[in-house]
Amino acid sequence: MRRPPRTADRLAIGAAGLAMVALVVVPLIRLARIMFEDDGASLGRVMRAPGLGAAALHTLTLACVVPLLAVPLGAAMALFLRRTDVPARRLLRVVVVLPLIIPQFVLGYSWTQAYSRKGFTDSLFGVQWTALHGPLGIIAVLVVDAAPLSYLLTTAGLATRAEPALEQAARVSGAGGWTTLRTVTLPLLRPVLAAEVVLTFVATLESFAVPQVLGGPAGFSTLTTRIYADLSLASQPDSFVDAVTLAVGLVVIAAVILLPADVVLGPKLRAARTGAHPAAVASPAHHNGRAIAGALALMGYAAAAVGLPTVALLGAAVTKAIGVAPTPSNWTLNNFRAALNNSAIDAIATSLRLAAGAAFALTVLGVLVAALERRRAGRALGTLATLTFVVPGSTLAVGLLIAYGHWLGGSLALILLAYLAKFWTLAHRTMSGAVDRLPRAEWHAARASGAAPAVAARTIWLPSLAPALLGAWVIVFLSAMHEVTMSSLLYSVGNQTLAVAVLNSQELGDVGATAALSVVLTALLLVAAVPAWLAWRLMTSRRRPMRRRMPAARPALEVAGAR
Amino acid sequence: MTVPTMTLRTLTPRTMTQRSGRVLLAALVASLLAAACSSKPSASSMTLYTCASANVEQAVVTAFEKAHAGAKVTVFRAPTGQLNARVAADVRSGGVQADVIWSCDPLTMHGYDSQGLLRAWSPPNASDIPSAYRTAHFTGVDLLYMVVVVHKGVSSPASWADLTKADYRGKVALPSPSFAASALGLLGYFASNPSYGIAYYKQLKANGAVQVNAPADTLTGVEQGAYNAGFTLANAAYTDQKKGSPIEVVWPRPGAVAIYAPIGVTTKKHLSPLAQKFATFVASSAGQQVMAAQGTYVTLPGLGGPPIPAGSPIASPDWPALFANYTSVLADYATVFGS
Repeated sequence: MRRPPRTADRLAIGAAGLAMVALVVVPLIRLARIMFEDDGASLGRVMRAPGLGAAALHTLTLACVVPLLAVPLGAAMALFLRRTDVPARRLLRVVVVLPLIIPQFVLGYSWTQAYSRKGFTDSLFGVQWTALHGPLGIIAVLVVDAAPLSYLLTTAGLATRAEPALEQAARVSGAGGWTTLRTVTLPLLRPVLAAEVVLTFVATLESFAVPQVLGGPAGFSTLTTRIYADLSLASQPDSFVDAVTLAVGLVVIAAVILLPADVVLGPKLRAARTGAHPAAVASPAHHNGRAIAGALALMGYAAAAVGLPTVALLGAAVTKAIGVAPTPSNWTLNNFRAALNNSAIDAIATSLRLAAGAAFALTVLGVLVAALERRRAGRALGTLATLTFVVPGSTLAVGLLIAYGHWLGGSLALILLAYLAKFWTLAHRTMSGAVDRLPRAEWHAARASGAAPAVAARTIWLPSLAPALLGAWVIVFLSAMHEVTMSSLLYSVGNQTLAVAVLNSQELGDVGATAALSVVLTALLLVAAVPAWLAWRLMTSRRRPMRRRMPAARPALEVAGAR
Repeated sequence: MTVPTMTLRTLTPRTMTQRSGRVLLAALVASLLAAACSSKPSASSMTLYTCASANVEQAVVTAFEKAHAGAKVTVFRAPTGQLNARVAADVRSGGVQADVIWSCDPLTMHGYDSQGLLRAWSPPNASDIPSAYRTAHFTGVDLLYMVVVVHKGVSSPASWADLTKADYRGKVALPSPSFAASALGLLGYFASNPSYGIAYYKQLKANGAVQVNAPADTLTGVEQGAYNAGFTLANAAYTDQKKGSPIEVVWPRPGAVAIYAPIGVTTKKHLSPLAQKFATFVASSAGQQVMAAQGTYVTLPGLGGPPIPAGSPIASPDWPALFANYTSVLADYATVFGS
């Protein structure tokens, strides 16, 4: 029997709807109106522009290839590190998420310092990667950048979705490890994997820094690099309208692909909880050869993807001039002094405040939309929240400035709104892989036993959602800390974010200072990541005490996906 | 012991949530009000939009505020693309907010001028500034020189054309004109020079020249030895050379290409009385000396700044002509090096 919606439900729907209109619909409409300022002439101009087809093809190719590589890589790392027999498992778990802490533009730049002609490996071993500047290099760096996101989401997914009883049943019935993975574990992870594919797809659609740094020299343009080029010439109104038209084009591409996927495919991927709480997969206590080989491969990957580029970056940060050997006689702290002036420190503090605020607000909004996805209209809301993510920051900021600049121009609130609009989907997609796993039977049991709704939510739902909540918070926080374009367009005196400080040194062409600031930023985030990491470990391993406290309310063999 | 017990009773999760909700709401309303109230500038304040580098802009603004007691300059500083986006948003939401715009290249200023955003005004000492660096609506206050930089030990080219010779095959880097305005200025100069034209870029390409993003990337590449020679900006090259980078700076024939950074007063409805004072200060000898001390070339002659070797030829693109046809020039370029 269907209950009529309660006041709380109505309030939730109203709040989500209001936020959606304010953060997504209004800015996008303001942008779309710019597109038609010259009666749609820009559309013809943009479509006829030489090189548009190639740029669109490059964008779509990257957006399809990167998820195909990054999601399996991230998921495989998560599944591998779930085994208890992997040597140095704790260290490896930290190492594989490191690229998430490094901003994309720093990652791209550090790869050029490490692997390009006369870079770190060329100077030391005479080894360079000539394809780095071009599509292969872009794909490699974007995959390295995106894989930790998949790793984190899969790990959170395993914590909320895994069914050890089903897996053990499969193993007892004679299924091998691969068959169990294919027939039990992966089907349970489908919504999480789908969220990872969608997020990596849209993140690649809107990626700019890596295609610009690595593609520019090869004449490899994408829609976002064309938008940048148009904006550089946009003191001419035509160029500005063209840039906005291209940005709206990205939104259309994302909508056309995501809307059917979200509305039709989304519900089919869900799998209800069977009632058993997951636990770590027990493996033999001794380290077998396969686990050791896997751990070594993972170490090698981390060294190549993050280790060497970081060493090259450090080298640039401590060397007094470009082109001199990074030997101790040429070391200096001047670059750090130049990078860490007072305004940079203030900027770091502003960024920390803004990023934390955005992460808290979006975790709530993410849960809200993910919870509403049980309804068809809710699924459309999920797609809508994704659209602002693909709009390049510079154009989204214009939409927000036109819509709210009159009231909020120059205030921190406008930058916060921009972060909320841009990163909503990161929180929502992370949560959507967890909310369908809320243990309803236990909820009803708690309520029937007299627990108030708030108590039941805190004791039943919150523990189930905790890994995903923390994952969403961390992902939004890091993305907001790394955000460059919107903050540099919306800031005013006194509320410069880190982006402004980074742009200052980058624009001056000061490689040493940029490297030093990147090192400081990465180190800072690393320090901030330690408490988050400890909390993460606590939440993803809190299952056993929970099971003792509240035994499964239903038999474990209710087939996944049957409801 | 009574008080702590009461406190514990009072702060149930529910009331805590309600209370923090109210605090959040109050904070939001307060910040909105504060933002709304702070948007009206006073007579002693003005807004500057600029893409000048942070050290130069900050030094000039500080010196101006010191010279004009009580004056307050609110600065929005961003790369050209962001600056354009901000101006475009302003124009669509009540008009440009800046009293003064100080851009990094003449093309950007021509664009604003074509939208009617700049008023006809020149600083009192405009006639002291070479006429190639000013129009009726904006005046050049500082300069970038596009020159050639070579790795130490590599033979220096005498002219730009020398870089198409076999000695430099596969070893030249040039910045992308769709990324950097200075590179677009250089392209505009060559495209309109009958001895060079777009054919020059075709010869460079045929000789294995490589396109990078910004002039700073060219410089880094030459310093590291990835390239033997590259087109870059003279002030940045001299700064790095002073730090110890192994490079030489060459001012090739027919001339280092000058890209001037203009300042202009906007057509904002309620223009701050400080607007003209600020622009006058930046173009004045006092303002120009502050900029020169920051390692910038200035337009007022004889005030110092980074080195210019004696007898170095200097060339200027025809900016109004380039503004009229840069789209087709860029399209021609894209057929050679890609966009």
